[in-house]
Amino acid sequence: MQTVQTPPAGTQVTSPKPEPALKKILSPSGIFLPDVDICESSDQIRLLADMPGVDQNSVEVTVENNVLTIGGPAYVDCPAGYDLVGQEYRVGRYRREFSFPDAVDTGRIKARVRHGVLEVTIPKREEMKSRKIRIET
Amino acid sequence: MELATWPRSTFSVFDELESLHEGLSRMFSEPDLSRVSDSFPHLNVWLSSDGLIIDAELPGVDPKDVDVSLVGDELILRGKVNVQEPRSGETFYQRERPSGEFSRTLQLPFRAEAGMAKASYKNGVLRLTVPRSEQEKPRKIAIEAS
Repeated sequence: MQTVQTPPAGTQVTSPKPEPALKKILSPSGIFLPDVDICESSDQIRLLADMPGVDQNSVEVTVENNVLTIGGPAYVDCPAGYDLVGQEYRVGRYRREFSFPDAVDTGRIKARVRHGVLEVTIPKREEMKSRKIRIET
Repeated sequence: MELATWPRSTFSVFDELESLHEGLSRMFSEPDLSRVSDSFPHLNVWLSSDGLIIDAELPGVDPKDVDVSLVGDELILRGKVNVQEPRSGETFYQRERPSGEFSRTLQLPFRAEAGMAKASYKNGVLRLTVPRSEQEKPRKIAIEAS
């Protein structure tokens, strides 16, 4: 499993020295896992997936048998007349799947893409939302 | 007094299908390297006699939060990503996307025409177009026949 450690918000991440010429690596296409955050609140779950190069028209979001599948092809505009001299990321298709609990309302899932980030909003079922219980004094 | 109750372990089954995970790292570097690291953001670079085109993967940033500066033959890319998450009332169940400030300095292979450099942001990719200064562009020298 891919583990990604993320420093706390506000962490200064710098590369103080200028970098030498970038290493050239060939570009195979492939299927890639987007980095995903999942945020939970009392009434919904928000899933945020970094999918740079994907737009609202090319993104694919499906729900079947309590499995959410997100993905889509990333588009890159290779400039004509230029040679690729440094490559640090590859471009291909994204795909990742998540299984769901019964506690979510798959009929009311919403998705949108903005600035290369897919946001999927998944409402919890009414009976599974957190409740406040009044304590009598 | 009020007490909040949560449907415990509701999302413990919100698990990923592990089988898809294997061998799918997008990065060329070590798999445990954070994406907010010395090499964030990741870049793809194209070169021609006109200059450089640099793509930086910066999904979800506000273009106002990114600062690009060009000094001599150095290009500096600074900014912050995902500092607004999570929203109030939310907690992270899973967190992989980079968050924080970044700064990256690139040594260009030529002196740039700074006034002609361009930046555009589309679908989470920042594209910088950095032309060579006129003096550094390759020139053809006509050979005179004797």
